[in-house]
Amino acid sequence: MRPILLQGHERALTQVKFSKEGDLLFSVSKDHVVCAWYSSNGERFGTYKGHQGALWTVDVDPTTTFLATGGADNTMRLWEVKTGKELKQWEYPTSIRRVEFSEDGRQLLGVTEKRTGQLSNIYVYDIAQDVEAEQTSEPSMHIVVDELPRVTVAGFSFMSHYIITGHENGSVAQWDAKTGELIKEEFPHDDGMAVTDLQWSADRTYFITASKDKTAKLIDSSTLEVLKTYVADTPLNSAAITPEPTNYVILGGGQAAMDVTTTSARQGKFEARFYHKIFEEEIGRVRGHFGPLNYVAVSPDGKCYCSGGEDGYVRFEVEKEKERENRL
Amino acid sequence: MAANVQNTPGRTDWAEDDEPDLATAIPAPQITRNKDGTETIVTVFINEDGKRVKRTQRIRRTIVKKKENPRVAERRGWAKIGPEAGKPAGPRPDTTTLGENIIFRPQVGFKSGQVQETAPEEDKKAETLKKMQIKCRICSGDHFTTKCPFKDTMAPEGEAAGAPASLDDGAGGDAGGGAVGPGGSYVPPHMRKGGASKEGERMGGKFERDDLATLRVTNVSEFAEESDLREIFERHGRVTRVFLAKDRETGRAKGFAFVSYQERSDAAKACERVDGYGFGHLILKVEFAKKPPA
Repeated sequence: MRPILLQGHERALTQVKFSKEGDLLFSVSKDHVVCAWYSSNGERFGTYKGHQGALWTVDVDPTTTFLATGGADNTMRLWEVKTGKELKQWEYPTSIRRVEFSEDGRQLLGVTEKRTGQLSNIYVYDIAQDVEAEQTSEPSMHIVVDELPRVTVAGFSFMSHYIITGHENGSVAQWDAKTGELIKEEFPHDDGMAVTDLQWSADRTYFITASKDKTAKLIDSSTLEVLKTYVADTPLNSAAITPEPTNYVILGGGQAAMDVTTTSARQGKFEARFYHKIFEEEIGRVRGHFGPLNYVAVSPDGKCYCSGGEDGYVRFEVEKEKERENRL
Repeated sequence: MAANVQNTPGRTDWAEDDEPDLATAIPAPQITRNKDGTETIVTVFINEDGKRVKRTQRIRRTIVKKKENPRVAERRGWAKIGPEAGKPAGPRPDTTTLGENIIFRPQVGFKSGQVQETAPEEDKKAETLKKMQIKCRICSGDHFTTKCPFKDTMAPEGEAAGAPASLDDGAGGDAGGGAVGPGGSYVPPHMRKGGASKEGERMGGKFERDDLATLRVTNVSEFAEESDLREIFERHGRVTRVFLAKDRETGRAKGFAFVSYQERSDAAKACERVDGYGFGHLILKVEFAKKPPA
């Protein structure tokens, strides 16, 4: 396979997301720009401009109508995918670390960063399913996270039953998505090692967390029980689950950006690592990036995956059908 | 031919037609259906130089059905936005490039160090070599006898006295390690390790290459550069090496070169295509450096 390199960004990538059909790919980076790409040939569809600061996060709704972004300019914005028009802008006292649509696309959550004098907050908005409609400014739910440490990642579980959050100290918490009550908290990762990513399985009944403690864990959404553990030899920034029928887990990470200049590309471990989801065994690696991988995403059809690196490149690799048949 | 007759409506009267008018003399394209399902189209037209050209095309029409999600199809038709607005369809080279080919084969029991392991091993070897005392038998310097600058001019020190050869043998790496038998006597290569390696050790080590994918290029202009040759040959496949023989004093090409490909099939293709190619007002002759075994 020949990977496609996308060079639409001038600075480190922070997140990449596929649309539900896997035909469009959205990438955000620290250079304030959101790019949309056709995944079939790597052609750039366009950009969404307006943010005034580094972007941390992006998500697209299941119908690929709306695009939500959040970044260091303390705003969360909603865009129309087709025209690039900005539909709504929400402002906060601190930056937005994570946005995510619920499974049905009717709700959008945003996580704000904890900073001096400000706690982490989770805001949930109801999204009007019409491009013309005026979007609400008032959150339908607002959770102030005061007992737990800083929230790094969050998402809606299956049927929007729970909101799952990952924290700076390696803990994972489950909240009721209707009332905003904390249901339980677990500590799957080493103490003090931040959860860096949380991605869902196709049906959102379980998810995978990546952490700085060099492991990724598969966790049940309702019980928060750790189902599987994948051990890597480098701090992880991201983890993704491939959809059925392939049973893979792709992990991305590498030395922290500040240490990169002092390590060679080989030692930096800037590779996408493939693990077997069930046997927890490493089965291969794909090299290419010359900086740590900040995010890996798998197309919902399982045919390709995409990684965004600190080096400003998005690479995506198409897994050929034939190759897939030969797998374990 | 019926079409020909019908297609002369431009003329009103044959008497006016004193000069043959090219434009009106052009017959309409003729389409004939062949028995094997193909079509032959014969077109006569006037090209840019004003010459009359007849073109015969043979085509086969096939219908390819492709199923696509209507939503995806709709999105594909969207007009591009932002800096891409108004740009033609297809990837733009400034944002989208193809990476190097990657072979990815998931396998059970993957060891993360598979690629990296070789390096520490090499380091070890280098380290043991460093620790070993190396002494030249000719000048007693700290290099191998074979590397001695006085190798050609001086005979080894006290060789007539039968100096032990083991020092050099040991330092010679894995090849020399087995040269001394149990009784201290010399064992020829084919008798070592039970004579397992019948072919003997091949020279060149890691620089060994697939000779079967190497082309010999002769009649090369003396002003040619390796980069020129590489440019010509790279069009036909991945070139691993280009060697252009040069005169040591003048620095000019001697007139022949070797080009190695990664794939033999590419080499064969290149041999066929580049042979007879004009380069620097000479005609290149390309042949395989080594004939394939029959």
